[in-house]
Amino acid sequence: MDAQTLVSLGLILATFALYIGISIFNRAKQTSDFYVASRGIPPFWNGMAIGGDWMSAASFIGMAGTVLALGYDGLAYIMGWTGGYLLLTFLLAPQLRKYGRFTVPEFIGDRFDSNPARLIAAIATIIISFTYIIGQLSGSGVVIGRLFSIPAMYGTMIGVVIIAIYASLGGMKGVTWTQVAQYIILIVAYIIPIVFMSLQVSGNPLPWLTYGNVVDEIGAIDRELGLSEYFAPFAESDKSQFIALLFTLMVGTSALPHVIVRFYTVTTMKAARWSGAWALLFIGFLYLSAPAYAAFSRFILMTQVAGQPMDELPGWTDSWINTGLLEIADQDGNGVLDWTEIAVGNDMVVMATPEIANLGMFVIGLVAAGAMAAALSTAGGLLITISSSFAHDIYYRLMNPKATDKRRLNAGRIAIVLSTVVAGLVALDPPGVITQIVAWAFALAGGTFFPVLFLGVWWKRMNAQGAVTGMLVGLASTLCYIFLAMNDITLFGIQDTGAGVIGVPINFLACVIVSLVTAPPAQHLQDDVIDLRYPEQMTYKDGEVWMNDGTGK
Amino acid sequence: MKKVDKEVADAYFRTRTILIVIFLSIGFLVSFGVVAFAEFFSQFKFLGVEFHYYMGSQGAVVIFILCLFLNAVLSDNVDKKFGIDDDANASISSGKTVDH
Repeated sequence: MDAQTLVSLGLILATFALYIGISIFNRAKQTSDFYVASRGIPPFWNGMAIGGDWMSAASFIGMAGTVLALGYDGLAYIMGWTGGYLLLTFLLAPQLRKYGRFTVPEFIGDRFDSNPARLIAAIATIIISFTYIIGQLSGSGVVIGRLFSIPAMYGTMIGVVIIAIYASLGGMKGVTWTQVAQYIILIVAYIIPIVFMSLQVSGNPLPWLTYGNVVDEIGAIDRELGLSEYFAPFAESDKSQFIALLFTLMVGTSALPHVIVRFYTVTTMKAARWSGAWALLFIGFLYLSAPAYAAFSRFILMTQVAGQPMDELPGWTDSWINTGLLEIADQDGNGVLDWTEIAVGNDMVVMATPEIANLGMFVIGLVAAGAMAAALSTAGGLLITISSSFAHDIYYRLMNPKATDKRRLNAGRIAIVLSTVVAGLVALDPPGVITQIVAWAFALAGGTFFPVLFLGVWWKRMNAQGAVTGMLVGLASTLCYIFLAMNDITLFGIQDTGAGVIGVPINFLACVIVSLVTAPPAQHLQDDVIDLRYPEQMTYKDGEVWMNDGTGK
Repeated sequence: MKKVDKEVADAYFRTRTILIVIFLSIGFLVSFGVVAFAEFFSQFKFLGVEFHYYMGSQGAVVIFILCLFLNAVLSDNVDKKFGIDDDANASISSGKTVDH
């Protein structure tokens, strides 16, 4: 083992020990600990945990590379994945919090007083989270595999074991505090390299202010080479696809069950609003940095690697060529590597840039630990969501309502271990490109849940028939469009990753039309919806609003 | 328990809804609005970058964050104006949620 491997491994093991220590310290004792961390997490820390929960291996490892490859067109990911928090915090989170349930399927089941709706929602939650977790497990496999120079398969297995242990130990309470720790590690690991790069390239340590000039210079080099400029709009895809992808990612973000459930862990509607604000601030640190990451890596590659003689290429090129993520070939045979002869894989940019920019062993190790933190924190949140859909919504609410606390906790833990093992097996041989699978998860979440949740908390006339039809039609039409687009049958140039723009409106229409032609929901369900307009202290009852001033009923 | 006048209750809901509509419109304009007219905005420069690129990579995100914090502060003020006490909210909420 060389020194670099030892340093990276040491950092990863130290962070693993930290996560497991935190889970043991915050071990869940009751079901409310396990699912919603006893609803007592302060908004600031919940915001940080949402940041860790949210930022996955795809965000950490893949996003800067996507922006580097696509230029302006990659920015749909930046705006979509942050804008979703606007929809979530304004339209859904406080109201869902006041409704006061454990999970998203439980809200849907109780709001519409319908067990079929509960079952569909639970199954859809499992499908969406499962799709998403496969990406996380294979991401951790790539990091561990690259570290030890072993096949990614064994790396995935190691990751699976670690995740299963700490998620089943701590439940939501443990996951919350490990996610806080993981957020801090991943954001430090993300920002340190670009601060050094910014110093190297421009002499200013604040990359967010300096990379504008770098983008400009890249554009100038592109012009010289006769390529389309880096910042030119819609060079890589149609405007319609850009807008569809932006819409899909935004709406999908606001309807992902594992993100929504984090808003259940705070005390009040007010705390939910503040959680959303803190969360987006913490998430923003990474998303604002990704375009800078892309610009600096591209600039360094263009100016320091391109133009070198083929036999004097730096040492790091060999190891990345071996992983298949980097391709270089002297196509014109002039002995010099030109920019157009380099093909950089999206997933190597963040991992390789510290090496490319010569930032030293410690930073390279830190980035590896940060990538693991991103994969593990998201996987932890997803596993809790899968386990609660199964153990709480399906087992407890539908199959065995008399189950004791202990049995339900055990069912939850068994569900975690089972789903980790199954997802790990799938991740050994992932069914497609990771970023693509992740985008499908967003389309499915938006297409299945967003209209039902939105109308569920804002429109009292919405009923069970509407919800069931909406979810089924939304899920089916989204899946259908993904399938058609994969086979090159598209509408207005919208590709499979933008499928949400088809599924969401169809779901909305189905909800509204079916609700209107069937009987209105029971009066107490309608009253519950009006009650969500007001803060906890105000209660809506029998057409009147009451203020609870502590004087009893 | 004290009855709240219908006008007061409606005014609370209206104020909160207006806030939501304003902030979501701002968010929509700085993201979808700029994308829709990206070619037009590309003739301007901001901090050394074409304006459409700046908005996509930083501007929109920063405005989203500001919207959320501004909304949190303004909503707290609305609550205060209507005599809502957050401690009371927290204790009522913990008694009312379904913790089964």
